[in-house]
Amino acid sequence: MPTRPLVTSYKDDSRLFADIWHKIAWTLALVVLVAWPFMASARWLTIGTQTLVAVVGAVSLMILTGFAGQISLGHAAFMAIGAYTVAVAGHVLHLPFWLGIPMGGFAAAIVGLAVGPFALRLRGLYLALVTLGLIPIVAHILLSFPELTGGVSGISVPMHTGFSAVEGASSLGDMTAAWHVAGLELSFQTKLYFLYLGIATAVCLAGVNISRSNTGRAMMAVRDSDLAAEALGVNPAKAKIMAFGISSFFAGVAGAMYAFEQQYITIEPPFDLHMSVHYISMIVIGGVGTIFGAVAGAITLVMLSPLVETLTAGLPILSDLTSAQRSTLVFSVAVCGFLIFEPLGLFGIYLRIKRYFLTWPFRY
Amino acid sequence: MNTFLQLCFGGLALGTSYALIALGFVVVYRASQVFNFALGELLTLGGFVMVALCDFGVPWPLALIGAMGMTGLVGAGIERLVLRPLIGRQVFVTIIVTIFVGMILRSLVLLVWGPSPVGMPTPWDPSASISLWGANVFYSALGAVIAGVVTLIGFWWMINKPRLGIGMQATSSNQETALALGIPVGRIFGSTWFIAGAVAALAGIFLSMFPRNLDSNLGFVALRAFPAVIVGGLDSIRGAVVAGLGLGLLEVLAQGYVNEHLGQFGHNFHTVFPYLVMVLFLVFKPHGLFGTKEVERV
Repeated sequence: MPTRPLVTSYKDDSRLFADIWHKIAWTLALVVLVAWPFMASARWLTIGTQTLVAVVGAVSLMILTGFAGQISLGHAAFMAIGAYTVAVAGHVLHLPFWLGIPMGGFAAAIVGLAVGPFALRLRGLYLALVTLGLIPIVAHILLSFPELTGGVSGISVPMHTGFSAVEGASSLGDMTAAWHVAGLELSFQTKLYFLYLGIATAVCLAGVNISRSNTGRAMMAVRDSDLAAEALGVNPAKAKIMAFGISSFFAGVAGAMYAFEQQYITIEPPFDLHMSVHYISMIVIGGVGTIFGAVAGAITLVMLSPLVETLTAGLPILSDLTSAQRSTLVFSVAVCGFLIFEPLGLFGIYLRIKRYFLTWPFRY
Repeated sequence: MNTFLQLCFGGLALGTSYALIALGFVVVYRASQVFNFALGELLTLGGFVMVALCDFGVPWPLALIGAMGMTGLVGAGIERLVLRPLIGRQVFVTIIVTIFVGMILRSLVLLVWGPSPVGMPTPWDPSASISLWGANVFYSALGAVIAGVVTLIGFWWMINKPRLGIGMQATSSNQETALALGIPVGRIFGSTWFIAGAVAALAGIFLSMFPRNLDSNLGFVALRAFPAVIVGGLDSIRGAVVAGLGLGLLEVLAQGYVNEHLGQFGHNFHTVFPYLVMVLFLVFKPHGLFGTKEVERV
C-alpha cells in the first residue's frame, strides 16, 4: 500500500517535502493562515492566536512523548517557568519581548535538563507521576517569591519592543499600540498573531527537522526499545536528556507566548494538571509520533471548546453549569470517545482518506 | 509532648484515608496496569451519595454501606464501558482516559449537587472529641482510623483467602495465563474497580467530616496521595498502606514543625513536602519501597 512515493535513496527518505502534494498543501495552509486575521472576527482572531500557542506547546510535548516515548505530566510546569520568566523580565528588567521569549525557553530548558536524568532510572507511570510532582513544586516556588512573581494575585506581562520603557506607552508596554503599515491598521492582536505565526512555523519546521535527523531517529529508537537502541550504538541517556532539553525549551517558549497573549497571568489555574492533560490529549487526538499530529490535535482542541460553548448554550439540562463547565463536560466525552474508537487519532483518519483517493476507484 | 501526640493522632487519621486511597490505586493497577486518575472524583461521588442517602432518612451505618456499594458500582461501570475497550493500548492513553472520565464525573457531581459545600452527617456529635493520653482526638478521626483498619484487615483476608482474591493475584501476575487457567479476568477487573470505588467512598466520607466539609473539590486530595502510591511501590498493597500512613504523619508533622522555620517559603510547604520526598526517594529506589523490579528480557 503506497502512502508516499517510492523511496529509493536515503536522500528521498529524509526529504522535507515528500512530493508535490506536500508543497501544495503547505502553500495552501500558508495562504489561509496569512489571510486569517483579515477575515476572522476579533473573537476568532484571539482563538487563532491561542491555537498558535497550543501548536508550539503540542509540538514540544510531541518531541518528548511522541518521539522519545517519555511520558510527562509536567508540561504545565515548564510552561509556567517560561511564562513567569518573561513576566519578570518585562516587569523588573524591562527587557524587550524578543529577548524575553528565548529567555523563557532557556529557563525552562535548564529545569528540563535537570529533570531529564530522572528518566534514566524511571519509566512509564513512575516517570509520569514524578513529572506530575513538578507542577506543585514549581507552583510552590513561584508562590514563595510574591515580591517578584506577584504571588497568588498574579502579575501583568508587559511587552516592550526596546530596552527602555517608552514614554507614554501603556503599562503593558509599547507593543500593544496599533501600527499603520501601507494603509492597513495592524492592531495588537494582529501583530501578535503574525509574530506567533512566525514562531509556530519555525518550531514546526524544527520539529520536522528533528524527526528526520540523527537526533530524532535516536529518540525514536529509544522509544521503540532502549535496549535494542543501545545495542545498535545509540546512547539512550543522551537521547532522553536531549529530548527533555529540546522539549522543555519549546515548552518554555510556548509558556512565554501564552503569557504575552494573556497579558496577565496567575499560577493556578491555568498552570495545573489540566493544562498538562490538555496538551497530552492534543497529541493523542492528533496522532502520536508525527508533527502533523501535534498541529492537527492543537488546532482541533483549541477550536473545539468555543464551538462547544456556542453549540450547547441552549441545551436545557446543561444550563445549570457555567459555559466553561459545559464545554469541559462535552469535551471530555468527545475525547473519551475519540480515544476508544479512533486509536490513531486524526492522523489515522487522514491516512484513511488519503488511501481512499490513492486507490480510487478500487475499494482497497 | 502533648502537641506532638496530638499531631501524631491527626496524622494517623489523615494517613488512614491516604492509605485507603492508595489502596484504591494499587488494587486496580495490580490487576490491569491502569492508573486510575478518576479515583479522586469517586471520593467526591461517594461523599455526596452518602449525604443524599442520609437526607433520605437511611440509618447511618446502612447509608455508609450503600454509598460504598453504589460508588463501587460506578467504578465497575467505568471499567466496563471505558477501559475494557482500551486493553492493550499505550500507558498514557489509559492515563488520559481516566483523567477525562474524572472530569466527566466532576461535571456530573456539579450538575446534580451544585458547587456549595455541605457538612457530612455523623452519628456522633461532629465536633466531639475524647482525651487520649492528654491529646484531644476528634471522634471522627478515631472513627476514620477504626474504619480504615477494619477495611484493611478485611481486604487482607479477602485477597489471601477466597476465590476472588486468588483470582486477583493470578491476574496481577499474568493476565494471559490466568485467562487460560479459567479465571474470569474481565470479572476480576470489574471487581478491582468495585473495590477501588468502595474504598474511595469510605475515604471520601471520613475525609469530609467535621473540621473539613464536602464540596466538589474533595477529589484533589487524591492527587496528594500520589506520593504514597509511588513511594510504596505501584503494585504493592503493603507499600500503599505503610506509605499512606507515613505520608499522613509526614504531612501533619511538617505542618506543625517545619513550615514555621522556612519563613516565606514555608507557607503551605507541607503540601509540597511529600512530593519532594517522593522525588528524592525515587532517585535511590526507582520502584518504591515494596514494588517489584521490572526484569527486561531482550
